[in-house]
Amino acid sequence: MITYLLRRLLQSLLTLLVISMILFGLISSVPGGIMSAYQENPDFTPEDLARLEAKYGLNDPAPVRYLKWLGNSLQGDFGNSFTSKRPALLEIADRLPNTMLLMGVTLIATLLIAIPLGILSALKQYTWFDHISTTIAFAGQSLPVFWFGLLLIIIFAVTLKGADGRPWLPGSGMATLGKPFSLVDRIEHLILPVSMLAFVSAAGYMRYLRSSMLDVIHEDYVRTARAKGLRERVVIYRHALRNALIPLVTLIGLDLPSLFGGALFTETIFAWPGIGRLYFTAALKTDYPVVMAVLIIYSALIILSNLLVDVVYAALDPRIRLS
Amino acid sequence: MKKILFAFVVLAFVLAACSPAATENPAQPASTEAPAQPAATDAPKPTEAPAVDPNTPVMGGTVIVGTPQEPGTLSPLLSSATIDDVINAFIVEGLVTMDGDGKYAPVLAEELPTASEDGLTVTYKLKKDIKFSNGDPFTCADVQFTYEAIVSDLSGASTSGYSDIEKIECPDDYTAVVTFAEVYAPFMRLFAFIVPKGAGDLTKLDTWEYNRAPIGTGPWMVSEWAAGDHITLVKNPNYREEGKPYLDSVIVKILPSRETGVQLLGTGEITVLWDLTEADIPTIEKLDGVGWSGALYGYGENELLVLNFGANDGSAPADPSKAPHFALSDLRVRQALQYGIDKQTIVDNLLGGNVKVGTTVLPAGQWACPQPASEYNVEKAKALLDEAGWVVGADGIREKDGIKLSLKISTTTGNQLREQTEQVLVEMLKEIGIDLVIDNVPSDVLFASWDSDGMRKKGRFDILLYTTGGGIDPDSHLFGNYHSARIPTAENEGAGNNYSRYINADVDALIDDAAFNPDQGARREAYCKAAEQINKDLPRIFLYERMVISGYREQLQNFRVSPGYADLTLDSQNWWLKP
Repeated sequence: MITYLLRRLLQSLLTLLVISMILFGLISSVPGGIMSAYQENPDFTPEDLARLEAKYGLNDPAPVRYLKWLGNSLQGDFGNSFTSKRPALLEIADRLPNTMLLMGVTLIATLLIAIPLGILSALKQYTWFDHISTTIAFAGQSLPVFWFGLLLIIIFAVTLKGADGRPWLPGSGMATLGKPFSLVDRIEHLILPVSMLAFVSAAGYMRYLRSSMLDVIHEDYVRTARAKGLRERVVIYRHALRNALIPLVTLIGLDLPSLFGGALFTETIFAWPGIGRLYFTAALKTDYPVVMAVLIIYSALIILSNLLVDVVYAALDPRIRLS
Repeated sequence: MKKILFAFVVLAFVLAACSPAATENPAQPASTEAPAQPAATDAPKPTEAPAVDPNTPVMGGTVIVGTPQEPGTLSPLLSSATIDDVINAFIVEGLVTMDGDGKYAPVLAEELPTASEDGLTVTYKLKKDIKFSNGDPFTCADVQFTYEAIVSDLSGASTSGYSDIEKIECPDDYTAVVTFAEVYAPFMRLFAFIVPKGAGDLTKLDTWEYNRAPIGTGPWMVSEWAAGDHITLVKNPNYREEGKPYLDSVIVKILPSRETGVQLLGTGEITVLWDLTEADIPTIEKLDGVGWSGALYGYGENELLVLNFGANDGSAPADPSKAPHFALSDLRVRQALQYGIDKQTIVDNLLGGNVKVGTTVLPAGQWACPQPASEYNVEKAKALLDEAGWVVGADGIREKDGIKLSLKISTTTGNQLREQTEQVLVEMLKEIGIDLVIDNVPSDVLFASWDSDGMRKKGRFDILLYTTGGGIDPDSHLFGNYHSARIPTAENEGAGNNYSRYINADVDALIDDAAFNPDQGARREAYCKAAEQINKDLPRIFLYERMVISGYREQLQNFRVSPGYADLTLDSQNWWLKP
């Protein structure tokens, strides 16, 4: 087990190294960048441009810049944002709580919707209920987020108004400006983005759970449990569901990094000041220290969560041996 | 199971019930509904039967300024985007600024600075009894510090002009004497911001606290910056004008997009929306209780066509006569283009008649040099093309020596107004037998640097469509865009913006003279002559004048967009909300 973990960690580091090379190569080959903002401005003299290039470390060739970046990042310094001049990690830390709040609430909401619906539609296979929920799930999976988000905003934050003339729900940000913090206000701001994210991702979870549940309830041990004369409730929840949930662990585990990475479209549409939006604006401005920091941390978390899923799997299912 | 099915049915009914409500809404009397709750959440409610003049400013309240971009920094020493300067202007002031009419005006200086006879010494008289937001007095030492900061290693500011300064002396606290090593004629544009000497150590300029919360002499100071969400500005307790600003606070809200901003302006969630375009005006005018304010930026910006005098194959000749463009190197073809374009139709049909047609590189402000509008005359255009040897072929397209008069026009993708403009141009030029082909590219490709093989820098185009112009002083724009020394070449590593590869020795001489002549009247004359000559040579065709535009709730008083960089903040100490 220990050797297995060590080997996997070592592999992960190599993977990360390759990922970082590819990402750095891609980002530095993108045209434009911070210097084009200055080159546009005739007030900036050639001496100014040279000074700024040196300041941002852009006067070295890409491989040299990569090695410098790698050396610094290994010591925990991902460089300073080109636009704010603050450390990239600080920019991320500022937004991390917001993203974790949004994605955490979303994950809980997703599970609260998906688990009961998944179980029920498996148990009531081919009934009206199954057909309706399956259709909705497919719709949810196929909805383009940027379109659906705008639709929600237009309906609930612009068109529908209460008696006081104010829209039902706020359509952007995470707090009403100029008012002291209140939990109600924060929840109101969470409703639209969370509903959208949960609707879209619950669809996937639900479909997964439904098919896994269908597999399980036709297993021999479920029939045995029924034959023993156990009550249906016990058969379903104690014998079938626990086994059916195992594949779900994979899904949840693989979704964990999104607690960090956030949701790019959702955060951008709803002006949620999280990491997805930070990444989006940084990418638009080719602010590559920030872009690299977000991508590398995100990649590391994905690799880690994969590892975590494998370990948890082994713990849940004694038949699986890690070697 | 039944219960759940029932729940779904109920949900379906609720959803269905929502839609009629949505359609009913517009039918309600808009005047009582729509503007109900403006952004000013703390705005004082009208008191019982007020007997006061409705035009007396009301104290208090909050204005929310929406912007689709977040400032990277509020330090004028590090700003790299326009929004950085727009927001820091709420806080930071300089010795001289540009007023609402595009003229220089003293701010922290007592009066406009004066230059010595030889132009090498410029003297500023500073206002007395001014304090920064942290309570420190403003003196000549701060002017010295600002200069040192601008030319320091970590500075991200332009050093044009500052690099010519030899020394700054302070004979007393309220006089600053600037000595130049060589004449810098646009000296009036210097010291548009002042950084107090208490801001920090110049070797740590990048990490100053100042960068997120500048210390300034303006009406506002930062109280909170929630990254990615909003910046809260509160009153500067040491502001020099007694009892001002009227408002309690200004909140800068970061929006996902301009389109969202327009919605929020309509619902009153924001009071001001920064940076609209001419194309947004019709939408803004439809909103209840919302107005817009526009100004020409500086001496004016133009939406224009850049015509390439050199070969369009990327060979980037320093002298286009050695490798001329197959058609555009001929003045008659350029004149025909100008005659063949009906600018007024573009303005009326695409821009709702809200802007003026482009006439000159210097349309407004203190450098204004008005020129007559170009004539739209299809017959003259055709005659000129005939004369130039381009004759109409079988398909209606002109040709010469077997080459078709087919020109590519390029702009940035995704800009609807520009794409429409191009389509109109295609139709207009077809009339005179020119085949215009639209070939748009992403902005990063169009504006890429010389090293990244930028199409504009390397001259790999026929005609470009974009906006440029308008600074505080025409020196850098005219030099950068029309002087032969600023043709991007391998030798100068692609420096300069003279993408037409335009060479006219007279224009070069006029621009050079103006750059080294401390006599501002003589400079204006020189620039005006250069602008006239440019209109004769036609390296560029000015389509229409661009405005800096912001939308605002009409409840906000004294809001006016100004021609300066700080386009929003003019008079923000005088803003107040009508109850």
